[in-house]
Amino acid sequence: MGISKSISKSMKDSSWIRAMFEEGEKLKKQLGPENILDFTLGNPVAEPPDKLKEELVHIASSKIKGMHRYMTNSGYEEVRADIAKFYEERSSLPFTKDHIIMTVGAAGGINVALKALLDPGNEVIVPNPFFVEFRFYIENHGGSIRLVDTQEDFHLDIEKIEKAINRKTKAIIINSPHNPTGVVYNEKELKDLAELLRKRREKGQRIFILADEAYRKIIYNGTVLPDLFNIYEDTLVITCHSKDLALPGERIGHIAASPHIKNLRPLLDAMIFANRILGFINAPALMQRLVQKFQRNSVDIMDYQRKRDAIYRILVESGFNVTKPLGAFYIFPESPIPDDIQFVRTLQQHQILAVPGIGFGKPGYFRLAYCVEMDVIERSEKYFKDIIPNIR
Amino acid sequence: MIISKRLHKLIADQEGWTRRMFEEGIKIKKLYGEDNVYDFSLGNPDIEPPEDLQKTLADTLAHPQRGMHRYMTNSGYEDVRREIAEYLHELYGLPFNSSQIFMTTGCAGGLNILLKSILNKGDEVLVPSPFFWEFKNYIENHGGAIKLVRSKEDFQLDIGQIERAITAKTKVVLLNSPNNPTGAVYNEKSLKGLAGLLKQKRREGQEIYIIADDAYRKIVYNGIKLPNLFRLYDLVMAVTSHSKDLALPGERIGYIAISPRIKERDLLVSALMISMRTLGFVNAPALFQRVVGKFQRTSVSIEDYQKKRDALYEILMEAGFECVKPMGAFYMFPKSPIPDELEFIRTLQREERIMVVPGRGFGKKGYFRIAYCVPFEAILKSRDGFIRIGKKFIKR
Repeated sequence: MGISKSISKSMKDSSWIRAMFEEGEKLKKQLGPENILDFTLGNPVAEPPDKLKEELVHIASSKIKGMHRYMTNSGYEEVRADIAKFYEERSSLPFTKDHIIMTVGAAGGINVALKALLDPGNEVIVPNPFFVEFRFYIENHGGSIRLVDTQEDFHLDIEKIEKAINRKTKAIIINSPHNPTGVVYNEKELKDLAELLRKRREKGQRIFILADEAYRKIIYNGTVLPDLFNIYEDTLVITCHSKDLALPGERIGHIAASPHIKNLRPLLDAMIFANRILGFINAPALMQRLVQKFQRNSVDIMDYQRKRDAIYRILVESGFNVTKPLGAFYIFPESPIPDDIQFVRTLQQHQILAVPGIGFGKPGYFRLAYCVEMDVIERSEKYFKDIIPNIR
Repeated sequence: MIISKRLHKLIADQEGWTRRMFEEGIKIKKLYGEDNVYDFSLGNPDIEPPEDLQKTLADTLAHPQRGMHRYMTNSGYEDVRREIAEYLHELYGLPFNSSQIFMTTGCAGGLNILLKSILNKGDEVLVPSPFFWEFKNYIENHGGAIKLVRSKEDFQLDIGQIERAITAKTKVVLLNSPNNPTGAVYNEKSLKGLAGLLKQKRREGQEIYIIADDAYRKIVYNGIKLPNLFRLYDLVMAVTSHSKDLALPGERIGYIAISPRIKERDLLVSALMISMRTLGFVNAPALFQRVVGKFQRTSVSIEDYQKKRDALYEILMEAGFECVKPMGAFYMFPKSPIPDELEFIRTLQREERIMVVPGRGFGKKGYFRIAYCVPFEAILKSRDGFIRIGKKFIKR
């Protein structure tokens, strides 16, 4: 079969994921899925807000003429105008509909932005540990990924970033709240980053910040996400409604481009063009209309916070070394043994499914996605408590 | 430069005339009012989805199921794929099952993930020309090279030309029938000829796939039937969408059907899963997957389209244009009365307020495309304009 070589390689590289997935599936069959505590998937069990569901019924039965047709590739003007208003309020910057492009989720949006920006050989910096899909998105468009280790507490290591920047650097992807660590970057480190990038800018090199804000509304203890638009000029914020409105299967998100970007029009045109030729064409029409009025809403964050508190307490009491996450719905503890794959296998024997840190560029750790029913977290307690005393 | 050089070049290549035409079009619409301009430039059908479908959509949402907006497996809902497989089994008489169906974000999304999954850098994709220009972008997105092969005068495949165009690097022949921009439907004879040629190559050790863009599959006229490509050749993958047959273009829903005769189809599906994920589609929109499963045998009114085709074709004949009568899709591709079709269509736009697309946008200078997926009245009202322009340009 003529499968592309690069895809064959990806398949081979990720074969351990499949092996683990299959072991998990086997366990589910053997013991019954209700007896397996699955923390592997970032597929929230949360349902969209009731008001949103009502609105969806309302829109779908309203029979607006042409509501399922193509619209302009960047999305409905009135939807973009409303989203622009949201950013204008948040950032006090002159956002208009032109600064917003509706996309097929954040994954679609990041691909579109990278396609617009990258030439072969360009480098994109990604703080490590990282969401591995970023590597594919970058390589899809001829770029190469440059991983930069973060500090012990998963915050940015500005010095290492400075060392990693070279003439080929075109962008840095910032994902905060972060998958897999749940870290939220603070204002200071982002300002330091901005200052660093501005130094390059003065020498004539523009480096873009692509901010993947997919988890921006899932943030705890009143933490405020710093507003990147007021920190750095060449910023594209990419987000989606997969998490905040629990619509991951519907593939709806957007790109917001900073009004500060110089010579912005060609970049917007390039992204709209990329949206077309990559085959997205436009974000799903019905969902665009739906999310228009829900920019300020989200699922119940307190519910996630209770889950975070519960899993964090369990892990700490069980003797794991873990950084308390401030956002998203992931927690990234250290593996009690150096071999994280081996450790995740051990967890499987205790009915717990997790993803090894190597899947995020960081061996020696593992990720738990706690967007599960509270009951699953509670039931995991006795297993976790059982593990460390018995592991060595 | 702030944007990618490659992309900049692509945009610049296309921008020249499209942008100029587009802007002139907007000016004319402002000057005369939308209703007095006949816009035949867009393949964005002016019709609504079937009533039953709209009802099913409303019902699905009125009785929400838990988890209906979550991620599902990258290839789409199993039950929806099974419904589609049953339909294709019935349609093509081959044992399709759900694992050979892959739900996609429209046809454009489907073509991109397929090409990404099978092309290596430098692989060639043969495309009969005139052709839908986006194919070039889709192929080049994934490191492939497009190789155009001129079709015959009647827009049927020229097998001799295709044979000469095949090289050791040829990996795919990309067919679009019914065709955009010509409306041609490839007949059994030419497809058999193509299949014979590719089988010959296969005996010589080269596997060449046919990717069939079937977006207009249900829009065919005079009761003609599309030849069964899956029977004629084994290495076939068909990509379709419900943009045209169910009038849902904005919702981005379609699927890939992989021939049950491809031995390593499971490997291909695994590759498609990765491409679907990494290109950022992740999965086809959940809600519309559920909706379209039940509407595989349905389509918008083909009769209405046929009436429009007949009316427009008659007008063009009366005005003296040379044109191959289209047998499907909703496009017509007449010859420009003067060699420079750009000049012709700008006159058409300026003097008669009729907007069409120049043939060079489809790799064929000297022709122009009319998209007649517009209200029937618009076609009738454009008659005088076509007649007048015919008198001006066409010598009888």
